[in-house]
Amino acid sequence: MITVEKLHKTIKKRKILSDVTFSIAEGECVGLLGQNGAGKTTLIKCMTGILQHEQGDITFHSAPIVQHKKNIGYLSQNTDFKPWMTCKESLLFFGKLSGMDKEFLQENISAVLEEVGLKDKGNYKVEQLSGGMKQRLGIAQAILHQPLLLILDEPVSALDPIGRNEVKKLIARLKKRTTIIISTHILDDASEFCDRYIIIKNGRIVGNINDEFQKSDRKQILVKTGNVPQTSEALKSSEVERVEWLSPNTFLLTGAEELDLKKVINDFAAKEMDITSIAFYERGIEEIFLEMVSDT
Amino acid sequence: MTNFYTLTRTELVEAAKEFKFIWLTLFFVILGITQPLITKYMDVILKNVGGADGITIDPNRPVPSSAEILLSTISGQFNQIGLIILIISFMGLIAADRNSGMQDFILTRPVSLRSYLLSKLMGNWVISMFSISIGAAVSYGYTIFLFGSFSFSNFLLFLLLYSLWILFVVSLAILISTFVKSPILIAVTTIAASIFFILIKGFNHFLFQLSPGGILNLAENQLLSVHDLNYFSIATCLAFILLNLSWTNRNLKKS
Repeated sequence: MITVEKLHKTIKKRKILSDVTFSIAEGECVGLLGQNGAGKTTLIKCMTGILQHEQGDITFHSAPIVQHKKNIGYLSQNTDFKPWMTCKESLLFFGKLSGMDKEFLQENISAVLEEVGLKDKGNYKVEQLSGGMKQRLGIAQAILHQPLLLILDEPVSALDPIGRNEVKKLIARLKKRTTIIISTHILDDASEFCDRYIIIKNGRIVGNINDEFQKSDRKQILVKTGNVPQTSEALKSSEVERVEWLSPNTFLLTGAEELDLKKVINDFAAKEMDITSIAFYERGIEEIFLEMVSDT
Repeated sequence: MTNFYTLTRTELVEAAKEFKFIWLTLFFVILGITQPLITKYMDVILKNVGGADGITIDPNRPVPSSAEILLSTISGQFNQIGLIILIISFMGLIAADRNSGMQDFILTRPVSLRSYLLSKLMGNWVISMFSISIGAAVSYGYTIFLFGSFSFSNFLLFLLLYSLWILFVVSLAILISTFVKSPILIAVTTIAASIFFILIKGFNHFLFQLSPGGILNLAENQLLSVHDLNYFSIATCLAFILLNLSWTNRNLKKS
Protein backbone atom coordinates (compact mmCIF):
# COMPACT_ATOMS: atom_id res chain seq x y z
CA MET A 1 0.00 0.00 0.00
CA ILE A 2 2.66 2.52 1.04
CA THR A 3 6.32 2.12 0.23
CA VAL A 4 9.18 4.25 1.44
CA GLU A 5 12.38 3.62 -0.43
CA LYS A 6 15.87 4.93 0.34
CA LEU A 7 14.55 8.13 1.83
CA HIS A 8 17.02 10.84 2.81
CA LYS A 9 16.16 14.13 4.44
CA THR A 10 18.45 16.92 5.63
CA ILE A 11 17.26 19.96 7.59
CA LYS A 12 19.64 22.89 8.12
CA LYS A 13 22.61 20.79 7.01
CA ARG A 14 21.74 18.11 9.60
CA LYS A 15 20.95 14.64 8.32
CA ILE A 16 17.59 13.75 9.83
CA LEU A 17 16.73 10.64 7.79
CA SER A 18 19.19 8.27 6.15
CA ASP A 19 18.35 5.49 3.76
CA VAL A 20 14.91 4.82 5.25
CA THR A 21 13.19 1.90 3.53
CA PHE A 22 10.05 0.04 4.54
CA SER A 23 6.59 -0.80 3.29
CA ILE A 24 3.19 -1.13 4.90
CA ALA A 25 0.41 -3.38 3.65
CA GLU A 26 -3.29 -2.57 3.59
CA GLY A 27 -5.02 -3.17 6.93
CA GLU A 28 -1.83 -3.16 8.99
CA CYS A 29 -1.40 -1.10 12.15
CA VAL A 30 2.25 -0.16 12.37
CA GLY A 31 4.00 1.52 15.28
CA LEU A 32 6.77 3.92 14.41
CA LEU A 33 8.96 3.86 17.47
CA GLY A 34 11.93 5.95 18.38
CA GLN A 35 13.34 8.21 21.02
CA ASN A 36 12.64 11.93 20.95
CA GLY A 37 14.54 13.44 18.05
CA ALA A 38 14.99 10.10 16.28
CA GLY A 39 13.32 11.43 13.13
CA LYS A 40 9.78 10.05 13.49
CA THR A 41 7.97 13.34 12.93
CA THR A 42 10.20 14.28 10.01
CA LEU A 43 9.53 10.88 8.42
CA ILE A 44 5.79 11.37 8.91
CA LYS A 45 5.93 14.89 7.49
CA CYS A 46 7.70 13.53 4.41
CA MET A 47 5.09 10.77 4.13
CA THR A 48 2.23 13.26 4.30
CA GLY A 49 3.84 15.56 1.76
CA ILE A 50 4.32 18.45 4.23
CA LEU A 51 8.10 18.24 3.81
CA GLN A 52 10.02 17.63 0.65
CA HIS A 53 12.74 14.98 0.74
CA GLU A 54 15.99 15.16 -1.18
CA GLN A 55 16.38 11.55 -2.19
CA GLY A 56 14.24 8.44 -2.31
CA ASP A 57 10.64 7.64 -3.12
CA ILE A 58 7.43 7.51 -1.15
CA THR A 59 4.66 5.82 -3.07
CA PHE A 60 1.07 5.05 -2.25
CA HIS A 61 -0.47 2.35 -4.42
CA SER A 62 2.55 2.79 -6.74
CA ALA A 63 1.98 6.54 -7.29
CA PRO A 64 3.85 9.40 -5.58
CA ILE A 65 2.23 10.05 -2.22
CA VAL A 66 1.60 13.75 -2.94
CA GLN A 67 -0.98 12.63 -5.50
CA HIS A 68 -2.85 10.77 -2.77
CA LYS A 69 -3.35 13.46 -0.15
CA LYS A 70 -7.10 12.83 -0.30
CA ASN A 71 -6.48 9.29 0.92
CA ILE A 72 -4.40 10.24 3.92
CA GLY A 73 -5.67 11.32 7.32
CA TYR A 74 -3.17 12.94 9.63
CA LEU A 75 -3.13 13.83 13.29
CA SER A 76 -0.28 16.13 14.15
CA GLN A 77 1.79 16.04 17.33
CA ASN A 78 0.42 19.44 18.40
CA THR A 79 -3.33 19.35 18.09
CA ASP A 80 -4.96 22.71 18.31
CA PHE A 81 -7.56 24.37 16.16
CA LYS A 82 -8.85 27.86 15.70
CA PRO A 83 -10.19 28.47 19.23
CA TRP A 84 -13.12 30.56 18.00
CA MET A 85 -14.45 27.80 15.75
CA THR A 86 -16.97 25.25 17.00
CA CYS A 87 -16.25 21.54 16.52
CA LYS A 88 -18.65 21.47 13.56
CA GLU A 89 -17.10 24.57 11.98
CA SER A 90 -13.61 23.09 12.35
CA LEU A 91 -14.68 19.91 10.59
CA LEU A 92 -16.52 21.90 7.91
CA PHE A 93 -13.34 23.89 7.29
CA PHE A 94 -11.18 20.77 6.89
CA GLY A 95 -13.84 19.01 4.84
CA LYS A 96 -13.96 21.90 2.39
CA LEU A 97 -10.17 21.84 2.10
CA SER A 98 -10.39 18.12 1.34
CA GLY A 99 -12.72 18.95 -1.54
CA MET A 100 -15.69 17.11 -0.01
CA ASP A 101 -19.14 17.61 -1.41
CA LYS A 102 -21.14 19.95 0.86
CA GLU A 103 -24.10 17.63 1.40
CA PHE A 104 -21.93 14.59 2.03
CA LEU A 105 -19.79 16.69 4.33
CA GLN A 106 -22.74 17.81 6.47
CA GLU A 107 -23.91 14.21 6.88
CA ASN A 108 -20.40 12.96 7.57
CA ILE A 109 -19.66 15.59 10.22
CA SER A 110 -22.47 14.26 12.44
CA ALA A 111 -21.36 10.66 11.89
CA VAL A 112 -17.71 11.44 12.64
CA LEU A 113 -18.55 13.44 15.78
CA GLU A 114 -20.56 10.49 16.99
CA GLU A 115 -17.73 8.12 16.16
CA VAL A 116 -15.23 10.10 18.25
CA GLY A 117 -17.71 10.62 21.08
CA LEU A 118 -18.24 14.34 20.56
CA LYS A 119 -21.79 14.17 19.23
CA ASP A 120 -23.20 16.50 21.88
CA LYS A 121 -20.19 18.85 21.65
CA GLY A 122 -20.68 19.81 17.99
CA ASN A 123 -21.59 23.40 18.83
CA TYR A 124 -18.93 23.79 21.51
CA LYS A 125 -16.10 26.14 20.70
CA VAL A 126 -12.68 24.50 20.52
CA GLU A 127 -11.48 26.65 23.43
CA GLN A 128 -14.12 24.96 25.62
CA LEU A 129 -12.77 21.44 24.97
CA SER A 130 -10.46 19.45 27.25
CA GLY A 131 -7.15 18.06 25.98
CA GLY A 132 -8.67 14.62 25.37
CA MET A 133 -11.62 16.12 23.49
CA LYS A 134 -9.30 18.22 21.31
CA GLN A 135 -7.32 15.10 20.49
CA ARG A 136 -10.53 13.28 19.55
CA LEU A 137 -11.52 16.26 17.40
CA GLY A 138 -8.05 15.94 15.84
CA ILE A 139 -8.81 12.33 15.00
CA ALA A 140 -12.25 13.40 13.70
CA GLN A 141 -10.63 15.79 11.20
CA ALA A 142 -8.22 13.02 10.21
CA ILE A 143 -10.98 10.48 9.45
CA LEU A 144 -13.57 12.95 8.13
CA HIS A 145 -12.72 12.36 4.47
CA GLN A 146 -12.62 8.58 4.99
CA PRO A 147 -8.92 8.13 4.26
CA LEU A 148 -7.36 4.80 3.39
CA LEU A 149 -4.31 5.56 5.52
CA LEU A 150 -4.36 7.19 8.93
CA ILE A 151 -1.13 8.64 10.32
CA LEU A 152 -1.19 9.54 14.00
CA ASP A 153 1.78 11.39 15.44
CA GLU A 154 2.03 10.91 19.21
CA PRO A 155 -1.76 10.61 19.61
CA VAL A 156 -1.78 10.02 23.36
CA SER A 157 1.50 11.29 24.76
CA ALA A 158 0.21 14.68 25.91
CA LEU A 159 -2.98 13.37 27.51
CA ASP A 160 -3.94 12.50 31.07
CA PRO A 161 -4.90 8.85 31.83
CA ILE A 162 -8.60 9.45 31.11
CA GLY A 163 -7.88 11.22 27.82
CA ARG A 164 -5.42 8.49 26.86
CA ASN A 165 -7.97 5.81 27.54
CA GLU A 166 -10.61 7.57 25.40
CA VAL A 167 -8.23 8.01 22.46
CA LYS A 168 -6.88 4.46 22.73
CA LYS A 169 -10.40 3.02 22.56
CA LEU A 170 -11.05 5.12 19.48
CA ILE A 171 -7.85 3.97 17.76
CA ALA A 172 -8.72 0.34 18.52
CA ARG A 173 -12.07 0.85 16.74
CA LEU A 174 -10.47 2.59 13.75
CA LYS A 175 -7.91 -0.18 13.41
CA LYS A 176 -10.64 -2.53 12.23
CA ARG A 177 -11.24 -0.58 9.04
CA THR A 178 -8.19 1.57 8.25
CA THR A 179 -4.47 1.16 7.76
CA ILE A 180 -2.81 3.02 10.61
CA ILE A 181 0.68 4.30 11.33
CA ILE A 182 1.20 5.42 14.91
CA SER A 183 4.28 7.30 15.91
CA THR A 184 4.97 7.13 19.61
CA HIS A 185 7.57 6.72 22.28
CA ILE A 186 5.06 5.26 24.75
CA LEU A 187 5.63 1.60 24.02
CA ASP A 188 2.89 0.16 26.20
CA ASP A 189 0.32 2.10 24.18
CA ALA A 190 1.82 0.97 20.90
CA SER A 191 1.74 -2.67 21.96
CA GLU A 192 -2.02 -2.44 22.49
CA PHE A 193 -2.87 -2.02 18.84
CA CYS A 194 0.19 -2.44 16.62
CA ASP A 195 0.78 -5.54 14.50
CA ARG A 196 4.26 -4.46 13.59
CA TYR A 197 6.88 -2.01 14.76
CA ILE A 198 9.38 0.03 12.82
CA ILE A 199 12.13 1.23 15.11
CA ILE A 200 14.02 4.33 14.14
CA LYS A 201 17.24 5.56 15.66
CA ASN A 202 19.18 8.63 14.57
CA GLY A 203 17.17 8.75 11.36
CA ARG A 204 17.84 5.14 10.40
CA ILE A 205 15.59 2.10 10.58
CA VAL A 206 17.17 -0.25 13.12
CA GLY A 207 14.29 -2.68 13.48
CA ASN A 208 11.24 -3.86 11.60
CA ILE A 209 9.59 -6.41 13.84
CA ASN A 210 6.24 -8.09 14.21
CA ASP A 211 4.47 -10.26 16.78
CA GLU A 212 5.90 -13.39 15.21
CA PHE A 213 9.40 -12.13 15.81
CA GLN A 214 8.56 -11.76 19.49
CA LYS A 215 7.14 -15.28 19.70
CA SER A 216 9.87 -16.98 17.71
CA ASP A 217 12.58 -15.72 20.01
CA ARG A 218 12.64 -18.90 22.14
CA LYS A 219 15.95 -18.44 23.81
CA GLN A 220 14.57 -17.76 27.26
CA ILE A 221 12.35 -19.75 29.64
CA LEU A 222 10.70 -18.30 32.73
CA VAL A 223 10.33 -20.78 35.61
CA LYS A 224 8.46 -20.52 38.94
CA THR A 225 9.16 -23.17 41.54
CA GLY A 226 7.29 -24.19 44.65
CA ASN A 227 10.04 -25.94 46.62
CA VAL A 228 13.45 -24.68 47.72
CA PRO A 229 15.24 -23.51 44.59
CA GLN A 230 18.33 -25.23 43.35
CA THR A 231 21.61 -23.37 42.95
CA SER A 232 22.29 -21.77 39.60
CA GLU A 233 24.98 -24.31 38.76
CA ALA A 234 22.57 -27.18 39.33
CA LEU A 235 20.07 -25.63 36.94
CA LYS A 236 22.52 -25.25 34.09
CA SER A 237 22.73 -27.81 31.31
CA SER A 238 24.43 -28.04 27.95
CA GLU A 239 21.73 -25.76 26.39
CA VAL A 240 21.21 -23.39 29.34
CA GLU A 241 23.94 -20.82 29.31
CA ARG A 242 22.79 -18.49 32.06
CA VAL A 243 20.40 -18.50 35.05
CA GLU A 244 19.02 -15.21 36.31
CA TRP A 245 17.11 -15.10 39.61
CA LEU A 246 14.17 -12.69 39.48
CA SER A 247 12.87 -13.61 42.96
CA PRO A 248 13.68 -16.43 45.44
CA ASN A 249 11.24 -18.69 43.56
CA THR A 250 11.47 -17.36 40.02
CA PHE A 251 14.33 -17.57 37.57
CA LEU A 252 15.02 -17.05 33.90
CA LEU A 253 16.96 -19.55 31.84
CA THR A 254 18.82 -18.25 28.81
CA GLY A 255 20.27 -20.41 26.07
CA ALA A 256 22.72 -19.60 23.33
CA GLU A 257 20.29 -21.17 20.86
CA GLU A 258 16.54 -21.88 21.01
CA LEU A 259 15.68 -23.94 24.07
CA ASP A 260 13.65 -27.14 24.05
CA LEU A 261 10.88 -26.60 26.61
CA LYS A 262 10.03 -30.31 26.85
CA LYS A 263 13.63 -31.23 27.58
CA VAL A 264 13.93 -28.56 30.26
CA ILE A 265 10.74 -29.81 31.96
CA ASN A 266 12.08 -33.38 31.92
CA ASP A 267 15.43 -32.24 33.35
CA PHE A 268 13.69 -30.45 36.22
CA ALA A 269 11.42 -33.42 36.86
CA ALA A 270 14.49 -35.60 37.11
CA LYS A 271 15.90 -33.16 39.69
CA GLU A 272 12.59 -33.47 41.61
CA MET A 273 11.83 -29.81 41.32
CA ASP A 274 8.30 -28.61 42.05
CA ILE A 275 7.53 -26.46 39.00
CA THR A 276 4.53 -24.18 39.45
CA SER A 277 4.78 -22.60 36.02
CA ILE A 278 7.14 -22.78 33.07
CA ALA A 279 6.88 -21.03 29.70
CA PHE A 280 8.92 -19.36 27.03
CA TYR A 281 9.68 -15.85 28.08
CA GLU A 282 8.17 -13.43 25.61
CA ARG A 283 10.08 -10.22 25.46
CA GLY A 284 7.88 -7.18 25.37
CA ILE A 285 8.27 -4.53 22.75
CA GLU A 286 9.88 -2.26 25.33
CA GLU A 287 12.69 -4.71 25.91
CA ILE A 288 13.27 -5.21 22.20
CA PHE A 289 13.13 -1.48 21.62
CA LEU A 290 15.67 -0.73 24.35
CA GLU A 291 17.95 -3.41 22.98
CA MET A 292 17.76 -1.96 19.48
CA VAL A 293 18.25 1.68 20.37
CA SER A 294 20.89 1.17 23.06
CA ASP A 295 24.35 2.41 22.14
CA THR A 296 26.19 -0.48 23.75
CA MET B 1 -9.00 28.42 -6.13
CA THR B 2 -11.70 27.02 -3.80
CA ASN B 3 -9.08 26.28 -1.17
CA PHE B 4 -7.62 29.76 -1.53
CA TYR B 5 -11.10 31.22 -1.03
CA THR B 6 -11.80 28.99 2.02
CA LEU B 7 -8.47 29.84 3.64
CA THR B 8 -8.72 33.59 2.94
CA ARG B 9 -12.27 33.68 4.23
CA THR B 10 -11.13 31.98 7.45
CA GLU B 11 -8.39 34.60 7.89
CA LEU B 12 -10.96 37.38 7.51
CA VAL B 13 -13.51 35.74 9.82
CA GLU B 14 -10.78 35.22 12.41
CA ALA B 15 -9.84 38.90 12.19
CA ALA B 16 -13.50 39.84 12.64
CA LYS B 17 -13.87 37.52 15.65
CA GLU B 18 -10.78 39.11 17.21
CA PHE B 19 -12.25 42.59 16.50
CA LYS B 20 -9.16 43.38 14.46
CA PHE B 21 -11.21 45.21 11.85
CA ILE B 22 -12.55 47.49 14.57
CA TRP B 23 -9.53 48.29 16.71
CA LEU B 24 -7.07 48.54 13.83
CA THR B 25 -9.46 50.83 11.94
CA LEU B 26 -10.04 52.99 15.02
CA PHE B 27 -6.31 53.23 15.50
CA PHE B 28 -5.72 54.42 11.92
CA VAL B 29 -8.67 56.84 12.13
CA ILE B 30 -7.14 58.40 15.25
CA LEU B 31 -3.75 58.55 13.53
CA GLY B 32 -5.39 60.03 10.45
CA ILE B 33 -7.14 62.87 12.22
CA THR B 34 -4.33 63.73 14.63
CA GLN B 35 -2.03 65.40 12.11
CA PRO B 36 -4.54 67.80 10.47
CA LEU B 37 -6.13 68.70 13.81
CA ILE B 38 -2.84 69.34 15.61
CA THR B 39 -1.46 71.37 12.71
CA LYS B 40 -4.60 73.48 12.45
CA TYR B 41 -5.23 74.06 16.12
CA MET B 42 -1.69 73.99 17.54
CA ASP B 43 -2.00 77.44 19.10
CA VAL B 44 -5.45 76.65 20.61
CA ILE B 45 -4.18 73.35 22.01
CA LEU B 46 -1.11 74.97 23.55
CA LYS B 47 -3.23 77.75 25.02
CA ASN B 48 -5.71 75.35 26.62
CA VAL B 49 -3.37 72.57 27.65
CA GLY B 50 -0.91 75.00 29.21
CA GLY B 51 2.86 74.76 29.43
CA ALA B 52 3.14 77.15 26.51
CA ASP B 53 4.95 79.84 28.50
CA GLY B 54 7.71 81.32 26.44
CA ILE B 55 6.51 79.73 23.24
CA THR B 56 5.49 82.11 20.54
CA ILE B 57 3.67 80.86 17.50
CA ASP B 58 4.27 83.06 14.50
CA PRO B 59 0.82 84.31 13.46
CA ASN B 60 2.19 84.86 9.96
CA ARG B 61 3.51 81.33 9.58
CA PRO B 62 2.67 79.84 6.17
CA VAL B 63 -0.42 77.64 6.20
CA PRO B 64 0.58 74.17 5.09
CA SER B 65 -1.05 72.80 1.97
CA SER B 66 -3.42 69.81 1.99
CA ALA B 67 -0.75 67.81 0.21
CA GLU B 68 1.80 68.53 2.95
CA ILE B 69 -0.66 67.55 5.66
CA LEU B 70 -1.55 64.31 3.90
CA LEU B 71 2.12 63.57 3.33
CA SER B 72 3.02 64.09 6.97
CA THR B 73 0.04 61.96 8.04
CA ILE B 74 1.08 59.08 5.85
CA SER B 75 4.88 59.32 6.08
CA GLY B 76 4.95 60.48 9.66
CA GLN B 77 2.04 58.67 11.28
CA PHE B 78 0.92 55.74 9.13
CA ASN B 79 4.37 54.68 8.01
CA GLN B 80 5.95 54.85 11.44
CA ILE B 81 3.61 54.22 14.39
CA GLY B 82 0.96 52.75 12.08
CA LEU B 83 3.39 50.34 10.46
CA ILE B 84 4.69 49.12 13.82
CA ILE B 85 1.17 48.41 15.14
CA LEU B 86 0.22 46.79 11.84
CA ILE B 87 3.21 44.44 11.94
CA ILE B 88 2.50 43.58 15.58
CA SER B 89 -1.08 42.75 14.57
CA PHE B 90 0.04 40.10 12.11
CA MET B 91 3.26 38.87 13.72
CA GLY B 92 1.73 35.46 14.46
CA LEU B 93 0.22 34.88 11.06
CA ILE B 94 2.34 31.82 10.25
CA ALA B 95 3.93 31.13 13.64
CA ALA B 96 0.56 30.57 15.34
CA ASP B 97 -0.54 28.06 12.70
CA ARG B 98 2.82 26.34 12.91
CA ASN B 99 2.89 26.09 16.69
CA SER B 100 -0.69 24.88 16.98
CA GLY B 101 -0.39 22.21 14.28
CA MET B 102 -2.99 23.94 12.08
CA GLN B 103 -0.45 24.37 9.31
CA ASP B 104 0.20 20.61 9.25
CA PHE B 105 -3.52 19.83 9.25
CA ILE B 106 -4.03 22.20 6.31
CA LEU B 107 -1.05 21.08 4.28
CA THR B 108 -1.89 17.38 4.55
CA ARG B 109 -5.11 18.19 2.67
CA PRO B 110 -5.03 18.59 -1.08
CA VAL B 111 -4.01 22.22 -0.52
CA SER B 112 -0.99 23.64 -2.29
CA LEU B 113 1.55 25.57 -0.28
CA ARG B 114 1.01 28.39 -2.78
CA SER B 115 -2.71 28.64 -1.92
CA TYR B 116 -1.90 28.61 1.77
CA LEU B 117 0.69 31.38 1.51
CA LEU B 118 -1.40 33.50 -0.86
CA SER B 119 -4.37 33.25 1.52
CA LYS B 120 -2.20 34.50 4.38
CA LEU B 121 -0.90 37.32 2.21
CA MET B 122 -4.30 38.27 0.84
CA GLY B 123 -6.15 37.97 4.16
CA ASN B 124 -3.73 40.14 6.09
CA TRP B 125 -3.38 42.63 3.24
CA VAL B 126 -7.17 43.06 3.05
CA ILE B 127 -7.41 43.56 6.83
CA SER B 128 -4.55 46.10 6.76
CA MET B 129 -5.83 48.01 3.75
CA PHE B 130 -9.38 48.09 5.11
CA SER B 131 -8.13 49.87 8.25
CA ILE B 132 -5.59 52.06 6.46
CA SER B 133 -8.08 53.11 3.77
CA ILE B 134 -10.71 54.17 6.29
CA GLY B 135 -8.08 55.96 8.38
CA ALA B 136 -6.68 57.66 5.28
CA ALA B 137 -10.17 58.57 4.03
CA VAL B 138 -11.03 60.21 7.34
CA SER B 139 -7.70 62.01 7.27
CA TYR B 140 -8.42 63.13 3.69
CA GLY B 141 -11.84 64.47 4.77
CA TYR B 142 -10.41 66.42 7.70
CA THR B 143 -7.53 67.72 5.58
CA ILE B 144 -9.67 69.09 2.77
CA PHE B 145 -12.13 70.53 5.30
CA LEU B 146 -9.42 72.32 7.25
CA PHE B 147 -6.78 73.06 4.61
CA GLY B 148 -8.54 73.15 1.27
CA SER B 149 -9.14 70.80 -1.59
CA PHE B 150 -6.90 68.04 -2.86
CA SER B 151 -7.29 65.87 -5.93
CA PHE B 152 -9.29 62.77 -4.99
CA SER B 153 -7.86 60.77 -7.90
CA ASN B 154 -4.32 61.53 -6.70
CA PHE B 155 -5.34 60.41 -3.23
CA LEU B 156 -6.74 57.16 -4.62
CA LEU B 157 -3.63 56.60 -6.71
CA PHE B 158 -1.57 57.20 -3.60
CA LEU B 159 -3.59 54.59 -1.67
CA LEU B 160 -3.25 52.11 -4.51
CA LEU B 161 0.54 52.47 -4.59
CA TYR B 162 0.79 52.49 -0.81
CA SER B 163 -1.15 49.21 -0.73
CA LEU B 164 1.71 47.62 -2.70
CA TRP B 165 4.11 48.67 0.07
CA ILE B 166 1.77 47.08 2.64
CA LEU B 167 1.59 43.93 0.50
CA PHE B 168 5.38 43.82 0.58
CA VAL B 169 5.47 44.26 4.37
CA VAL B 170 2.97 41.39 4.84
CA SER B 171 5.04 39.15 2.54
CA LEU B 172 8.16 40.10 4.51
CA ALA B 173 6.46 39.12 7.80
CA ILE B 174 5.46 35.79 6.24
CA LEU B 175 9.02 35.16 5.08
CA ILE B 176 10.54 36.05 8.45
CA SER B 177 8.03 33.69 10.12
CA THR B 178 9.79 30.77 8.41
CA PHE B 179 13.13 31.67 10.01
CA VAL B 180 12.00 32.73 13.47
CA LYS B 181 9.46 30.97 15.69
CA SER B 182 8.81 33.61 18.35
CA PRO B 183 6.06 36.07 17.29
CA ILE B 184 7.77 38.96 19.13
CA LEU B 185 11.03 38.30 17.31
CA ILE B 186 9.13 38.10 14.01
CA ALA B 187 7.59 41.51 14.71
CA VAL B 188 10.90 43.11 15.74
CA THR B 189 12.74 41.71 12.71
CA THR B 190 9.98 42.75 10.30
CA ILE B 191 9.82 46.25 11.77
CA ALA B 192 13.62 46.57 11.58
CA ALA B 193 13.72 45.33 7.98
CA SER B 194 10.85 47.63 6.92
CA ILE B 195 12.48 50.65 8.56
CA PHE B 196 15.72 49.72 6.82
CA PHE B 197 13.96 49.82 3.43
CA ILE B 198 12.49 53.23 4.32
CA LEU B 199 15.78 54.63 5.60
CA ILE B 200 17.81 53.60 2.55
CA LYS B 201 16.35 56.71 0.93
CA GLY B 202 18.56 58.91 3.10
CA PHE B 203 21.72 56.96 2.29
CA ASN B 204 21.51 56.14 -1.36
CA HIS B 205 18.65 57.26 -3.56
CA PHE B 206 19.55 54.88 -6.39
CA LEU B 207 19.55 51.90 -4.04
CA PHE B 208 16.25 53.14 -2.60
CA GLN B 209 14.69 53.07 -6.06
CA LEU B 210 15.93 49.51 -6.49
CA SER B 211 14.51 48.48 -3.12
CA PRO B 212 10.85 47.71 -2.37
CA GLY B 213 10.78 51.03 -0.45
CA GLY B 214 10.98 52.82 -3.81
CA ILE B 215 7.22 52.39 -4.12
CA LEU B 216 6.80 54.77 -1.16
CA ASN B 217 8.55 57.53 -3.10
CA LEU B 218 6.22 56.93 -5.99
CA ALA B 219 3.17 56.96 -3.70
CA GLU B 220 4.26 60.17 -1.98
CA ASN B 221 4.80 61.80 -5.36
CA GLN B 222 1.07 61.35 -6.00
CA LEU B 223 0.34 63.43 -2.90
CA LEU B 224 2.80 66.08 -4.02
CA SER B 225 1.16 65.99 -7.47
CA VAL B 226 4.49 65.15 -9.07
CA HIS B 227 3.37 63.35 -12.18
CA ASP B 228 5.90 60.60 -12.00
CA LEU B 229 4.64 57.12 -12.57
CA ASN B 230 7.86 55.22 -12.28
CA TYR B 231 6.75 51.77 -13.32
CA PHE B 232 10.16 50.47 -12.40
CA SER B 233 9.36 50.96 -8.68
CA ILE B 234 6.07 49.08 -9.11
CA ALA B 235 7.86 46.22 -10.85
CA THR B 236 10.61 46.18 -8.19
CA CYS B 237 8.08 46.02 -5.35
CA LEU B 238 6.13 43.22 -7.06
CA ALA B 239 9.38 41.36 -7.74
CA PHE B 240 10.34 41.57 -4.06
CA ILE B 241 6.89 40.29 -3.03
CA LEU B 242 7.26 37.32 -5.39
CA LEU B 243 10.78 36.73 -4.10
CA ASN B 244 9.56 36.71 -0.50
CA LEU B 245 6.80 34.24 -1.34
CA SER B 246 9.08 31.93 -3.31
CA TRP B 247 11.61 31.97 -0.50
CA THR B 248 8.87 31.22 2.05
CA ASN B 249 7.58 28.40 -0.14
CA ARG B 250 11.07 26.92 -0.33
CA ASN B 251 11.66 27.23 3.43
CA LEU B 252 8.37 25.61 4.37
CA LYS B 253 8.96 22.68 2.03
CA LYS B 254 12.46 22.12 3.40
CA SER B 255 11.87 22.32 7.13
